[in-house]
Amino acid sequence: MSSHSQSQSALGRMVNEIEETAIAVILGIMTLITFVNVVLRYGFNTGLIWGLEAVTILFAWLVLFGISYAVKTTAHLGVDALTNLVPLTVRRALAIIAAVLCIVYAALLMKGAWDYWANFANLPQTTGRWFPTGFEEMSRTSYRSWYEVVDIPMPDWLRFIEPMINEGEPYEKLPRFIPYVMLPFGALLLLVRFVQAGVRVWTGAQDSLIVSHEAEDAVQDVAHMNRED
Amino acid sequence: MDVVLLFVCIIGLMLIGVPIAVSLGLSSVIFLLVLSDTSLSSVAQSFYQAMAGHYTLLAIPFFILASSFMSTGGVARRIIRVSIALVGHMHGGLAIAGVFACMLFAALSGSSPATVVAIGSIVIAGMRQVGYTKDFAAGVIANAGTLGILIPPSIVMVVYASATDVSVGRMFLAGVIPGLLAGTMLMIAIYIMARVKKLPKGDWLGWGEVFVAGRDALWGLFLIVIILGGIYGGIFTPTEAAAVAAVYAFLIANFVYCDMGPLAGRNGERNTPLWRKPIALVTAFFHRDTRDTLFEAGKLTITLMFIIANAMILKHVLTDEQIPQQIAAVMLDAGFGPIVFLIIVNVILLIGGQFMEPSGLLVIVAPLVFPIAIELGIDPIHLGIIMVVNMEIGMITPPVGLNLFVTSGVAGMPMMSVVRAALPFLAVLFVFLIMVTYIPILSTWLPTTFMGPEIITN
Amino acid sequence: ACDDGEMVIKFSHVTNTDKHPKGIAASLLQQRINDEMDGTACMEVYPNSTLYNDDQVLEAMLNGDVQMAAPSLSKFEQFTKVFRIFDLPFMFVNMDAVDTFQNSETGKAMKESMTRRGLLGLQFWHNGLTQFSANKPLISPEDAKGLKFRVQPSEVLKANMEQLGASPQPMAFSEVYGALQTGVVDGQENTWSNIYGQKFFEVQDGITETNHGVLDYMVVTSTDWWDSLDDDVRTQIATILEEVTTERNAAIAEVDADNRQAVLDAGAEIRELTPEQRQAWVDALKPVWEKFTDDVGQENIDAAQAINADVQG
Ligand code: NA
Ligand code: NA
Repeated sequence: MSSHSQSQSALGRMVNEIEETAIAVILGIMTLITFVNVVLRYGFNTGLIWGLEAVTILFAWLVLFGISYAVKTTAHLGVDALTNLVPLTVRRALAIIAAVLCIVYAALLMKGAWDYWANFANLPQTTGRWFPTGFEEMSRTSYRSWYEVVDIPMPDWLRFIEPMINEGEPYEKLPRFIPYVMLPFGALLLLVRFVQAGVRVWTGAQDSLIVSHEAEDAVQDVAHMNRED
Repeated sequence: MDVVLLFVCIIGLMLIGVPIAVSLGLSSVIFLLVLSDTSLSSVAQSFYQAMAGHYTLLAIPFFILASSFMSTGGVARRIIRVSIALVGHMHGGLAIAGVFACMLFAALSGSSPATVVAIGSIVIAGMRQVGYTKDFAAGVIANAGTLGILIPPSIVMVVYASATDVSVGRMFLAGVIPGLLAGTMLMIAIYIMARVKKLPKGDWLGWGEVFVAGRDALWGLFLIVIILGGIYGGIFTPTEAAAVAAVYAFLIANFVYCDMGPLAGRNGERNTPLWRKPIALVTAFFHRDTRDTLFEAGKLTITLMFIIANAMILKHVLTDEQIPQQIAAVMLDAGFGPIVFLIIVNVILLIGGQFMEPSGLLVIVAPLVFPIAIELGIDPIHLGIIMVVNMEIGMITPPVGLNLFVTSGVAGMPMMSVVRAALPFLAVLFVFLIMVTYIPILSTWLPTTFMGPEIITN
Repeated sequence: ACDDGEMVIKFSHVTNTDKHPKGIAASLLQQRINDEMDGTACMEVYPNSTLYNDDQVLEAMLNGDVQMAAPSLSKFEQFTKVFRIFDLPFMFVNMDAVDTFQNSETGKAMKESMTRRGLLGLQFWHNGLTQFSANKPLISPEDAKGLKFRVQPSEVLKANMEQLGASPQPMAFSEVYGALQTGVVDGQENTWSNIYGQKFFEVQDGITETNHGVLDYMVVTSTDWWDSLDDDVRTQIATILEEVTTERNAAIAEVDADNRQAVLDAGAEIRELTPEQRQAWVDALKPVWEKFTDDVGQENIDAAQAINADVQG
């Protein structure tokens, strides 16, 4: 299954452009912060003390944001040794089962991501062990908006949130709910993309959710060089 | 036993076409929810921390990025030219040059498929032009390409270091001698086959060509000096080395080779030198080529890390259920010595390598076998190299393997032909595996010499 | 493994189980709880950050995924800035002073200072006083000028470095040895047990016996879980924990001395400071106190100084 499939509509193209650019920009910023820190330390005996933490957060953001894009473009790795051996009808049936399992996975991750993030944003976790059955009653310890990251200072332009979420107390460091918000956001996107992929498999628009190896795109780009016989 | 069911579940899901990451994650989550009192929220925490809490793994996106800039920027072509200039005149010269080029590119790139794509796409075509069979060419490249994860830098080594808390710097050093040895063994095997089969030899192009080609490739090859010199010269940590490598590769590709970015000639035009268009120093950062390279590297990072993050959830299950301790106890009670243990590790990895992407497999297997290895007195660095070499072999053993896929794509030939083509050289790598497994000093001598004896603090 | 029907207490920490003071204490606690509360409660210890690292473990505890942990005191600065007092340079003359301070009303109040956040401190566990080391001799504070030091993430420890004219570098603990060896960073600060356990002495010029800071731990639990226990169970756990704490804290001087001796035996150079040389370090770092007086409270600084005078006098 090629990952070069592109959305046709203008909106689809725009969303695609935003997703790809976001992935590129996050990785670019990660690289630059790390590089600048090396230069500052080696050249000027100083450093951005928050740089390390910022880069690890961006790393998490890159992956959490990107996994849904990889579902959309069918870029996730899988094993097609068996599915390639069976007849097309069986392959399609298996793909539908696989899609359902992926949706279940994304739903569980979504619940976990919400539950993990919610208290940091003073919001209620969901009740229920497997699937949400409602919202918890907030207790004293459910309010965790005070919880800050380790090194990244609170930017002044964000201070307007303090009265809204931290009872007006000033943050010394960035509150954790900000970096963690990518978790429920990414999980939601993942769920949406898996549902869409499931629909495409159901309608026969695609017949698998996986690529068999990480270099399919790269191989496609160079395959013409040895194809002449 | 529950854990058997867990692994059956994972493999079953993979086989019906569920993405590897989801197979690992979903099976683990179900087991956690059924068997323990762990919440879904802590699963999400593990997932987030797989990236944010593992500083070592940050080297992965950076090395991938450096490799992308190097491939796009025409470094592979220059490396091949210098390799041919050096050894192309020997019997089987172009094939030997192909191995040599794979070794050089492996020293710039952290991954095997990237090495096969970058070098293989050019060398296979070149070998066929001078009269080699396509099968022979593909077999050579599929094997030599596996050196991508043995010769530092190596993404698989980064993952091993992260999973077991050994030093990445040590692992990289440990890979140098085995990497050179494996490359040399492959070249000798080719030379012998070349003499027997009367394979073509190229012309000696003279020292002038060596010099010119070398000078042209020097900018790219200098990256080796930056990575290793920077780490061991005390300028940066391995993770930072990866980021510096990426920035350096960007600068070289855009401003020196000018093969990408604002200075690159489109549609066969010549590249513009920087002095004629200095504004490129600014525009290169926003150029479409830069964005695309960053994006491609980002996408590969995302798919690898999705697997690794889910493997971390599985690791959480194994830890929570104290599986490594149980297995360790069983093995130690059974009186297994280091030799039997290492054979078991080899077998597990060779089988696991059929299904799993190497990094994900390592995240799962390393915590299982590491405590036992320490108990048995096996050096953790040595164990790491053994695991890496197993991964290499897994990539080219039938029925499936990463490098087999990639080579079949690059060479435009069916999988089974690649499998057959790779077999003779595979024998060489098996001999190499036995050597690496039972001669620890091959792996440990260099790191011990440079960095002192390995310390085990756990 | 725990039997059915037993209440499982998960204790997650980041060191080994048999050499590090924290690991030893946790193992002893585990053994005693499993012996004496058999059938009622069962403790599972997860060492070496196999389950959580120090940054994650408190989050997990608030979520009910782990019941006990013993992060280093600087991790609690997030919750209550009073904890910065332990990082302030030369605040305590020796571990007896630290012990007395921790057992004072102030120390008890610190353990309970985070209950509004859902965490309860149960006991302080000692590791020891910290020493400086670098890839060149550190005799006077000027020697540290221009050097790069790996420090734990803590505002006070960073301020110390800046006060010395050195540059604080954050770095994952697992990378420190390699970074010291290759010279990515020049120096570090740690207790004798960590300097020996991590073999930092191998890759440093020597260790200067400054005893400038405190690296201790606090055993914490979540208030939700603690309050949910039956009274007698809670009391029994608390009693065992207290006895373990008393036993292991009393042994810390010995553990510290053993590790210091082991560093010496390994051939490393330990530089003892004359009272004048030490005073130079005290004078150089003293301005850091002022920066954090508001955080830790003048009355607490005064209390610590009074204890110093007591234990010395
Ligand atoms: Na490599
Ligand atoms: Na294989």
